[in-house]
Order: sequence, then C-alpha cells, then structure tokens
Amino acid sequence: MNYDYIIIGAGIGGLSAGLNLAFNNKKVLILEKNSLPGGLVTTFKRGRFEFDASLYDLMDYGQDNHTGSLQKLFKKYNVEIETLPIPYNIRIKSLDEKFEEVIKGEIDDWVLRLEELHSGSMSTFRSLLPVLKEIHEALVALKKGRDNIEKDFPNFMKYIDKNTEEALIDLNIPKETIHILGYLWIEIGSPLNKLNFIDFAEFMYKYIFKRPVALKNKNIDLALKLAKRYEELGGKIYYRSEVSEIKDIEDKKEVILKDGSSYRAKEIICDLSERYVLKNLMKEEYPFANQKENARTISMNGLIVYLGLNKSYQDLKLYNYRYYEFQNLNSATNMKSMKNFSHHTIEAVVPNIVNEECSPKNTTILVLKTLYSKDVWQNVNKTNYYQIKETLADELIEEFESAFHIDIKEYIEEMEIASPFTIEKYTNNINGSMFGPMRLGYDNSIHRLLSYEDEKIPHLSFVGSSSLFGNGVDNVFYSGYYITEKLLEEERRSE
Amino acid sequence: METIEKLEKIKKERKEIIESFSKNKPQDTYIDKTSSKITEIYHTIITDIKEEAPDVKTFTLTADKSSTTPNLAPFKAGQYITIHLTIDAPPVTRAYSLSSSPTLANKDIYKITIKRVENGLVSNYMLDEMKVGDKLDVSKPAGEFGYNPIRDEENVIAIAGGSGITPFISLAHAILEGIYKCNLTVFYSVRKYEDVIFKQEIEEINKKKKGVKILVTLTREEKEGFLHGHINQEMIEPFIKEFNTILMCGPKELYRSMNEILNEFNIPRKSVHYENFFVEYIPEEKTTYQLKVIMKDKVSDITCKNDETLLVAMERAGIKAPSLCRVGECGYCRSVLLEGKVKMIGASLKKAEAENDYIHPCVSFPDSDIVLRLDI
Repeated sequence: MNYDYIIIGAGIGGLSAGLNLAFNNKKVLILEKNSLPGGLVTTFKRGRFEFDASLYDLMDYGQDNHTGSLQKLFKKYNVEIETLPIPYNIRIKSLDEKFEEVIKGEIDDWVLRLEELHSGSMSTFRSLLPVLKEIHEALVALKKGRDNIEKDFPNFMKYIDKNTEEALIDLNIPKETIHILGYLWIEIGSPLNKLNFIDFAEFMYKYIFKRPVALKNKNIDLALKLAKRYEELGGKIYYRSEVSEIKDIEDKKEVILKDGSSYRAKEIICDLSERYVLKNLMKEEYPFANQKENARTISMNGLIVYLGLNKSYQDLKLYNYRYYEFQNLNSATNMKSMKNFSHHTIEAVVPNIVNEECSPKNTTILVLKTLYSKDVWQNVNKTNYYQIKETLADELIEEFESAFHIDIKEYIEEMEIASPFTIEKYTNNINGSMFGPMRLGYDNSIHRLLSYEDEKIPHLSFVGSSSLFGNGVDNVFYSGYYITEKLLEEERRSE
Repeated sequence: METIEKLEKIKKERKEIIESFSKNKPQDTYIDKTSSKITEIYHTIITDIKEEAPDVKTFTLTADKSSTTPNLAPFKAGQYITIHLTIDAPPVTRAYSLSSSPTLANKDIYKITIKRVENGLVSNYMLDEMKVGDKLDVSKPAGEFGYNPIRDEENVIAIAGGSGITPFISLAHAILEGIYKCNLTVFYSVRKYEDVIFKQEIEEINKKKKGVKILVTLTREEKEGFLHGHINQEMIEPFIKEFNTILMCGPKELYRSMNEILNEFNIPRKSVHYENFFVEYIPEEKTTYQLKVIMKDKVSDITCKNDETLLVAMERAGIKAPSLCRVGECGYCRSVLLEGKVKMIGASLKKAEAENDYIHPCVSFPDSDIVLRLDI
C-alpha cells in the first residue's frame, strides 16, 4: 500500500505530525506497536484507581487570556480538551543546605518570598522577566524563519551561546536564587551548567507567563482525542503494528512490520528515539547520523512509584501539589550523585490537589519519582530485578515519609512501580530514558534547530522527545507540527 | 560579533564535536541485551508432567534453548502465564497461575498446574495429549495478584478454592526461600481428600514450619488431619492479628461468603485482594449473531453464539486475536465496537476507553450483530 507519509509511533509527536499532514489532505498512515495511542501519555488501572503514567503539567497550553502554542494548534485541528489551572504550590527541600521552602500563591507572592530569603533578589528577578519574554519572541521569529533577529532581540543573541548558570550570573541573579529557581531543571533533565540558557528561558517563560495546566481527564483521554480527530481528518492508524525495518525501494521508503506486511511512502517520520531507529530499523548507513548519536548522552532514567492511598489528601496532610527533595540545590552536584542507587532526589506529585476527581472519594494518588544517570541498572538482571525494584521503591517511599513527615505506607491500597525496563518496553526509548537525548552543551534544542536543515536525512524525519525541542508534551507536539510544516514546504518547493 | 557569524560559529562547533565521534552504528546498551529483553512469547518444552490428583497435572516448562527465547522472564508469585495451543488449526489460549517458585525462573523453568474442565477444549487436550518433549508457546508472566511487600501486612491469610491453590504454592516457595518476609496461612477448600492438589508439596511445606502453613478443609467428607466444612469465621479467627492482608483465589461464591466473614473482622478494603479467573454468563435464550471483524487491511465475517465471548468466536474462526488474561483485566485484547451491543462481564476499562467504544472481547458476549475493529 502506498502513502504520502508513514509515521512510526502514535506518541504525542506522531499524532501531532499525523494531524498536520491529514489536515493538509495528505495520505498518512501511523503505525503503532501498542494497542492504544499516546506513548508515555497513557494510563493504567489498578483496582479502583486509574493512574496517569507520565503527564501532570501541560506546558504551553496557556489560559484563556494567554494561549500557548499547544492550545492554538488544538484549536486549529478542532481538538477540545478540558483543563484545570495549576497553582504554585511546591515544597522544596535540600539536605546539604538544610533548606526547606514552600512556593505558594501567585507569581508576586513568589517574588516577595524570594526577596525575604535573599534581599535584592526581587528586583533582579523582575529584571529577568523581560529577558525571558524577549528570548521567547526571538524563538518564535526564528521558527518562522525570520532573518535579522539581532536587531529586535539583542538578549537572545547575547545569551545564545551561554549556559544557564553563566547567563543567570550575568543577569545578576543571586546564586541562592539561581538554585531555588533551578529546581525546575529536573523537569528538563539537564543540569544548569550544561543547559543552554535559551532552552531554560523558554521553559521559564512558559512556566511563568503561560502557566502549566492539568488535564481534567486522564492522559489516555487526550491521546484518544488526538487519534480520533486525526482519523476524522482522513488519517489511518494501525495499532499492534511494530516496525522491524525501514528500507529504500526504488524512489520510496518501505516499512516492514514484524508480521512481514509492508507499506510504502515517500516520507517516513519516526516518533521514536533516533538512536533506536538507526540501530534497529535501518540497514543503510548514515555516517553523520551515527556520529550524532554516538556524541549524544542518553538522558536520565528513573524509577516511578504510583500509589493509590485509601485516605483523602487532607487526611494524609499532603497539602502541596509537588514535592522536591534534593541532596544539594546545585543541579550538577545532584546529577553526579545519580550514578548510584542510593541518593536523595525525589519528585512527588499529588494530582488530587489540582483535580479532586482524579481518584475515588476519600482516596489520593501520590506519584514518587527518582532519577538515575549512567548505567546504574547495568547489573540488574532477572534474578534480582523484582527484588531491586521493590527495595528501591520501598526506600523511596520511606525517604519521602521522613523528608516531609508524612505517613504513607499504611494507607497504600494499590501500587505499581515503573522501571527503565518498563519504559523501554512501551516506548523503545534506549535504556528506558525519560527525556530523549540529554540537552547539553552543543546539543540543546537551539543547536538542533539551527542545524536542522544541514543534518536532515533525506525522507526520514524525527519527531517526539528525541527531536528538535526535547521532552514535554508541548515540545513533542510542537515538533510534530514544525517538522511536518518543513516537509510540506519542501514538497511545495519541489512542485 | 555579527549575528550571522555567531550563529554560523555555533553550527560549526556542533558539527566539529559530532564529527569527532565514531561513524559506526551506536552500540548496544544494557537494556538491549536479549537476556534482559521481555518478549511477548516464550518458546518452551515440556520437560516433566506430574499427576497431582485425578484430572490434575503439573507441567514443567523449560525454555527451548535452541529457540529465539533461550531464557524465560522473571515473575512474581501470584502471576500467570498464557499458553498458546494449536488444536486442529485454530489457535487458542488459556491463562494459568504459575505454581512454581519464582527462583525456578532463573533456571528458565515455569510450572503450571491444570485441572480438567468438563468439555474444556484446552484442559482436556493438555491432560490427554501433551507429553514430555512437546513444545509449548507461552506468554510473558502477567497479572497483578500476589503478595506485595510494600503494600501488604506481615500477617497474610490466603483463601483458596479448588485450583485456586496454585498461586499460593508459588508464594509459599517464595517465602520459604526468603524472597518475602511474611507469615502465610493458607485455607484451602476442596470437596474431598482425593481432590487435594499438591498433597506431597503441602506436606513438605508444612513440615518446614517456617512461616507458611497450609490448612486444607474438606467440604464433602471428614478425614483425620483435615478441617471439615466451608471456610468459616471460627477457622480463621485464631489467625487474625491486628493488621492482616487477605489474598483470595477461587470461585466467586467463595469471595461472596468470605467478604461477609471479613466484615466481621473489620478488615479494610485495602487489605483484601482477589484473583479473577472465572467469567460466566448464561443468556436467557440462546441465539447466534453475525460478527464482522475489521482487521487493518482485511475483513472477516463470522458468527458468534450469545453464550460465547467474541474472543472465543474469533478463535473458533481461526482469527489470531490477541489474548492474555481472558478475564477482562489486562486489556491486551482491547478492540473497538463499531456497531452492535455486547454484554461485558467485569471488564476493567479505562474511563476514556469506555467513552471511545473500546471493549475487551475476552469478556464480551454479543447482544446483537456486531462490527468490531481489531488491528492485527
């Protein structure tokens, strides 16, 4: 069967690419190995609980008066979702500095609190805001292919080759404030001394100005809505269709499935890790793409513990939406400690704070996550897999209990543990990593964007977290849009 | 610096860094090793068959070393595997709890225990036709049932009815081998002495006196050394502590009567866990409906009786419909109901699945002609 485009993977990036192509009346086929769309944006049931696997904060969707790119695209495709605002309600704790703080209320309360902590941070923090805005606008212009951006966006040009730490120091932000603001690095997955300031500024811009929102319904509802709309627009999607090979046949690409069936198209778009595709699906050699992958650092993997608790969050005294515990507020120091199994980095989220209906009455969902870098799972094999997983989960729960003085264990009704092996099984992400290739040094999204045209493999594109903009639903959805816009443009040019 | 120059410099630096790396394909990393990869199907050979009781046999399955799956996946006590059989062409599956110790999986061995079901297609074939040396394909271990050392209490009371004893034999081994540190008391209800499965194993486990006790109760006869009658409050009472975890595996009537008893002891809901393995539905009037199955590039028109599930109808017609738990739990068989009505018994659907017309064919009985979308 012949198609204009074949998309491998119905993750959010793949669905986004499919939507834009179907919207432009292209003949598209999405091949998905699982039986539902969404990739990591999915849910699973345990007893009377339905757990979201990954997505809690939807970035760049925006609010009514401040719409983000995601909302604009959803509107364009007529995808309707219900969202809930997420307040600032975060507890951060760091062991080395004996630091514990709650960020609560509105942005102004937050700034005042920063000022209380470190006199002088208020004005510098305020002065940071226009810089964030300018960088965001510069990126919008750059994505639209505008020239002469140096005139309107001097700060963008000034900081384009600076890492976040350098830039924030240059902007006179006190070191302590950098560390406090810097807790957000963990959502991007790169330490501040390696994370490009443009990437950080864009994230902060969305975080402060657009505000994250939560989905009112579960993750899978979003994925199914996108898939449904894509099909209504004429797109085709085949589930339980795992690809085993992509090869060149005449002037087309042929995609061969595990069951031997095959489909052809002019263009292939992979919503898969680039490394996985090069290594496992392609017989042809792409020396530069191989070099690019060999140069990259696979981002962190983690252990996620999903807990269904049989008490309300009020009764449990889980008053904050998010909890973070770090060994040290310095992200680079933290990263180093992630190379072994015993360390203290905890992220916790209590979705009930934002959405009372996310679990049955008088119950609470608590999700704990800890991250590991490098090969800590190297010596895990089938003889110790469940034991190690359970021991780590147990330690994580106890660490959370003692860090925040909250009793959890006796209220656990349902629980599940996701390890890198779990993530790999569903997504084919190399080593079960959660953020795609790490955005660091020369390989932040600004670098990927600038070199996109030069590095593109003919008729083979990538969307999703290993694509230009990195992880996060906003970024992967935008990657699907951006890449397909480029391809459509190319198509128009060649006609 | 001029803008263009600066941007060009950034691009050039990136290119130089990338080009200093190897042009070879990226190397394997730990998770890609075949030994740690979890696959959907494992190829095994039956290496032993043991008669446990009349019409009950334990099959020892060893990984087929010459196949693409020379190693078996690990499992937790309480999980099941689904066997794939090809009896006179159409492929069928059945799920069975693993009865062996989880540590045996390290030696690439699984054991399942199968009881003959009257007119049962698979159980009769397994008991009468399968012999040592025969090959058998099985699924990866699956299921959520079992002891959870983080969630559960140290005092565990298990309630087993009939062949529901199998997961607890596995759990007993896991405790005796030190995998879990808990006290397990199993109440195992069968009709008569001759129906007791794992007689020898139960005796050996009880002899060890290491935190596991299996108490057998006979409902239809009295015999020395055995309890008599249905499991009741008096039997359990001496074993109830301040905090308890209750695990149940058996027929639905057993769960119903047990729930009444557990209420007496004020056991909270969070401490009670069941395994589902029976799906029953008897329609008022028997009839046959048309079932159209739309599969990717092809369509199949078959019939489905209203006392059989859509899955069984598809299997009968030779359609390789995916299946795993066969009790509506796991979602492995999920399909979209495009047209028609079904009676779905106990399917564990996600909210959005239900809203988007997904059904689990393994527990769906037709209530009209059906059009089903199943991507295979």
